[in-house]
Amino acid sequence: MAEPKLRVLMVSDFFFPNFGGVENHIYYLSQCLLNLGHKVVVMTHAYGNRTGVRYMTGGLKVYYVPWRPFTMQNTFPTVYGTLPIVRTILKRERITVVHGHQAFSTLCHEALMHARTMGYRVVFTDHSLYGFADVGSIHMNKVLQFTLADIDQAICVSHTSKENTVLRSGLAPGKVFMIPNAVDTAMFKPADVRPSSDDVITIVVISRLVYRKGADLLVEVIPEVCRLYPNVRFVVGGDGPKHVRLEEMREKHSLQDRVEMLGAVPHSRVRSVLVTGHIFLNSSLTEAFCIAILEAASCGLLTVSTRVGGVLPDDMVVLAEPDPDDMVRAIEKAISILPSINPEEMHNRMKKLYSWQDVAKRTEIVYDRALKCSNRNLLERLSRFLSCGAWAGKVFCMVMIIDYLLWRLLQLLQPDDDIEEAPDINFCN
Amino acid sequence: MVSSCLSNKRYTYIHENENEPTRGAIDIHHVIINGSRATGYARLRWLAFFLVGLAILLGKDNPVRTLSWSCLLSGFFVMIQSRKFVKKESVIIMPTFGIQLQTQYLSGKTVSRFIPIGKILKPVLVECVTPVTCYWSLSLFLRGEEQLTLVFKELRPSLKMLVPIWKALCAVSGTDQREMMTEEEHVVAVECKEYNELYQQMWCQPNYYTSKDKIYSVTKSSKLK
Repeated sequence: MAEPKLRVLMVSDFFFPNFGGVENHIYYLSQCLLNLGHKVVVMTHAYGNRTGVRYMTGGLKVYYVPWRPFTMQNTFPTVYGTLPIVRTILKRERITVVHGHQAFSTLCHEALMHARTMGYRVVFTDHSLYGFADVGSIHMNKVLQFTLADIDQAICVSHTSKENTVLRSGLAPGKVFMIPNAVDTAMFKPADVRPSSDDVITIVVISRLVYRKGADLLVEVIPEVCRLYPNVRFVVGGDGPKHVRLEEMREKHSLQDRVEMLGAVPHSRVRSVLVTGHIFLNSSLTEAFCIAILEAASCGLLTVSTRVGGVLPDDMVVLAEPDPDDMVRAIEKAISILPSINPEEMHNRMKKLYSWQDVAKRTEIVYDRALKCSNRNLLERLSRFLSCGAWAGKVFCMVMIIDYLLWRLLQLLQPDDDIEEAPDINFCN
Repeated sequence: MVSSCLSNKRYTYIHENENEPTRGAIDIHHVIINGSRATGYARLRWLAFFLVGLAILLGKDNPVRTLSWSCLLSGFFVMIQSRKFVKKESVIIMPTFGIQLQTQYLSGKTVSRFIPIGKILKPVLVECVTPVTCYWSLSLFLRGEEQLTLVFKELRPSLKMLVPIWKALCAVSGTDQREMMTEEEHVVAVECKEYNELYQQMWCQPNYYTSKDKIYSVTKSSKLK
């Protein structure tokens, strides 16, 4: 096997066996980068009994480092505790670029800090939107400001997300790339036989039933649409605290035969639920990048959505304000244009517009740009931190100086030559 | 006769083999710590001096008695600790018969364990991940045992030293080395039903521990389900 062009370490608290958008993103991006000839290693914390090294499809090496998670799947933040293992992994695998994911991941922030101290190139991807007002967000934003003060390049998944990240961290917008997420179009295919839309029009909703996903809007919208259109039925998949409100709505308006509640739908069954419908309804109040509408469009459904990040082309989606009347109007418009929709054509367009291969190629460009950034010494880097705030800047400088000293101490105790390089195992068929 | 020798800062690997390797010749692999005697005893000597000094400072009333007691106790402490210092670990391979794992301590004590050939299912090279480091180790799958057995219990020789020992163990246990590294479905070939069950057990719950040391991981290749 030829020498890989780049050797990337993906760091995040969120990876398989935990299931979610970030985990999927890291996995698919890593697989596509492996196909492009790079070497990718993933570092995450241990999940229960799953600790140590595992290899996934394509030779993707995953280090499950035995640091226990303490809250919401995050590693306990010890600031300097992960320095030895991060240094060992970076040296063993001869990493050139470190790519951290998700602002909420403590392991990611620590690993990026240590990687910068040791002089590696660092890229960060932010997947979510965060607020500015509550205590948790304020602290998180400060930590993010610290991490991003010294980063080489950053990636956001939508323009909304880019604005949010730039405002929260004070990062120069020129350093932030926008690379949208993609969808696995091979998995999300339209049904072979499209359900007939002459008699009954089925509107599918799949989301967690929480406030942020607009479950309260659904409670207003569904009875109104059912009243206006007797041939429309709803299929609601997902679970959450607002489930009770939806049940109450069903009881109140006697919609048991017109609104079907499926409960929590595992991701592997989402496609089978989507292909039973004609229209997909997304009522999220805010979303950095709504993959659900991409999955629905890939299955050939027309989408009605609020204005969230990651929007489809105009003819595949009908947008609405997060207001019940506006959403009902949008659903009316969607029902009227439904006959002109061709699911197969929609799926083929999605294949071209949103593919993981494209995301990987664009990420490769970001890595190349990061590698071209000049390596600054400690003093120049410290000056970047001082601009973070009156007190915060000085605290950040102290943290980085201590990290630097600890790194030098580690080099004395365990010289770089002592860390044995791991061989690249070739898994080609 | 010494057929090969590898050395790095911490360990020296020596391979002893018969002059003309005949079928059934005994194969011996040693891994020796460099300068263990000097560093081990030096550390203990400094610790003993420190303890004696501390005792003198604290027991000012009766210095002679305190000094004699502290010397006695620190000498006792040095003796206990020095029993743990390993000088050499060896693997003696006797084809068709078995293998002997030996640990020789600085105090002269030797601990041996014999494993009959029929009990060995497969030798594996394992990447062990701890909260602070990651290293290679050589382990054996044994019939009837739930845990992996470490070949080198105390020492951590480098991969370059472990590979020839692993190859020798593969040859003696009848494992095909090619199966270990190239296939995507399984790293280790499935040969017998018992091994299969053990494999399933271990791979489903990869947090296994040996009797003394903690091994956190195994190198494997499999499709994520």
